[in-house]
Amino acid sequence: MTAAVRARGFITVALFPAVLLFAFFVIVPVFWSAYYGFFDWKGIGAAKYIGFDNYAEVLQDQIFWLAFKNNMIVVAASVFGQVPIALLLALVLTKSTLFQRFVRASVFMPMVLSSVVIGIIWGYIYHPQIGILNFVLERTGLEHWKMQWLSDPKISMYSLTVPIIWNYIGPYMLMFIAALQNISPEIDDAARIDGVGPARKLISVKLPMIWDTVKVAVVLCISGSLKAFDLIYVMTGGGPAHSTELLASYMYNNTFNVFRFGYGSAVSTAIIVLSLVLIAGSQFLMKRDYR
Amino acid sequence: MEGSLSLGSGARGRGPVLRRRFGELVIRLALALYALVTLYPLIWLFLSAFKTNDEFHSKPFGLPGQWSFDNFGRAWEVSAMGTSIVNSLLVTVLALVLTLVFGALAAFALARFEFRLKGFWMGLFLLGMLIPVHSTLVPLFILMKKTNLLDTYAALVLPYAAFELPLAVFVIAAFLTSIPKEIEEAALIDGTGYWGIFLRMMLPLSLPALSTVAILGFLRFWNDFAFALVFISKPALKTVPLSLSVFATGYSTDYKLTMAALSIAVLPTILAFLLFQEQIMKGMTAGAVKG
Repeated sequence: MTAAVRARGFITVALFPAVLLFAFFVIVPVFWSAYYGFFDWKGIGAAKYIGFDNYAEVLQDQIFWLAFKNNMIVVAASVFGQVPIALLLALVLTKSTLFQRFVRASVFMPMVLSSVVIGIIWGYIYHPQIGILNFVLERTGLEHWKMQWLSDPKISMYSLTVPIIWNYIGPYMLMFIAALQNISPEIDDAARIDGVGPARKLISVKLPMIWDTVKVAVVLCISGSLKAFDLIYVMTGGGPAHSTELLASYMYNNTFNVFRFGYGSAVSTAIIVLSLVLIAGSQFLMKRDYR
Repeated sequence: MEGSLSLGSGARGRGPVLRRRFGELVIRLALALYALVTLYPLIWLFLSAFKTNDEFHSKPFGLPGQWSFDNFGRAWEVSAMGTSIVNSLLVTVLALVLTLVFGALAAFALARFEFRLKGFWMGLFLLGMLIPVHSTLVPLFILMKKTNLLDTYAALVLPYAAFELPLAVFVIAAFLTSIPKEIEEAALIDGTGYWGIFLRMMLPLSLPALSTVAILGFLRFWNDFAFALVFISKPALKTVPLSLSVFATGYSTDYKLTMAALSIAVLPTILAFLLFQEQIMKGMTAGAVKG
């Protein structure tokens, strides 16, 4: 047995289990859901082939597009809420003193909690009668600001963005801190010798140098907007009147509450396509060099 | 660093130094306030767990009049917490073992060997990171129904490991690439086979990467809600987040019980976070940069 053959044998054996598991549970389902999208199926009984009907329906489905809009609200809240706050925190938290480490840990803490826990806690905070938010508003004389935070369809989606932002600032902050610490001290020194002020240094030196990290953050915001499913499921279930429906919750409701497995599959496929398009699009938009 | 510099050029006078000190104080106060606001929902959660239902909304900000530990016992029973914790632990550990073993093997093959399809497999794993987890729920549900996997531990363990593999492969491979090739060549000349190199050199050397993957996996698996919601319906197999979700509806009016159950459930992850803080934060950054 030659060395090359032995190496090839080892590579195959080493790679095989991971590839098999990964392909079977991550890659293949993508194609399965595309395939099931062609059927009218209630989960039991025979599936009926209906061609592109489900996909055509998805495209004309107003609730689907409402859910898409809500997902975009989550993306916008993440990109314009989490990224700037995280960047600001990172700029003042680059040192490793005890105090700074404490603040970092606090900001990061929500990340380690289950989204079910977060959903229930924030459900109580927003609760119209017993919630602490309305309690505070009442006690501070802002009674007319009291609201049905989660059951008023006009504001419920915006109410939900707050726990989402709160939940996920931590990792972005860490990414930015890591990126800022990677800027070599010489560049910092050079800028100081040239008499560059802090604001100017931020815009002309620091931001361009961590632009790649910002790009990664935006991609993560987009793909992360779908993770909000658990939170929505626990807090509002997508209601009232679909006002907080996200693509994932809409897919879930269609499949497991209304038992339209074919349609749910078509929605799943649409989610994959849309998120890949969004990620590619955002990469393209930020491609030109930051100046 | 900046402070010492301006002290050195003391000829400029005390004004700027004092102003900087004041600015730093303001930033510190703002940061402390921010940390407090971020942590508050958690503090409120733990305090509320000791209160009576009446106190819960009559004095939401106060300390409990009497610290009633009974809440925890009752919550433990009502939510069948014992069973859920055992289930969560089992599923988490099994999924971690799969992720680490398969991930390390694949990473070793991809990081230390040159072969024709290397780029393809790397690309496949990278693609896996972009596929939204929730969009695979329907096809995976159908797949598992057909293979009789629904309502088994495997229904959670296999997809958990599969979705964590990309991160595991990238983090471990990145780490392994930095180990000099000579070590391996020397071992080969000494007659150690690839398995020997993998088990006796690469695994021990990549311990930091492995522990990062393990901690991130622990948090992800322990907190997962979506997969458990769809693939598990037997009460005896429920994981912690799934059992908690009944509090979102069923017991939602018994606040003290809900808060006590949530407190019990978040304790393990908070302890893990406090113990492995540095590692978790490093891991998050490593994970994010690969995205």
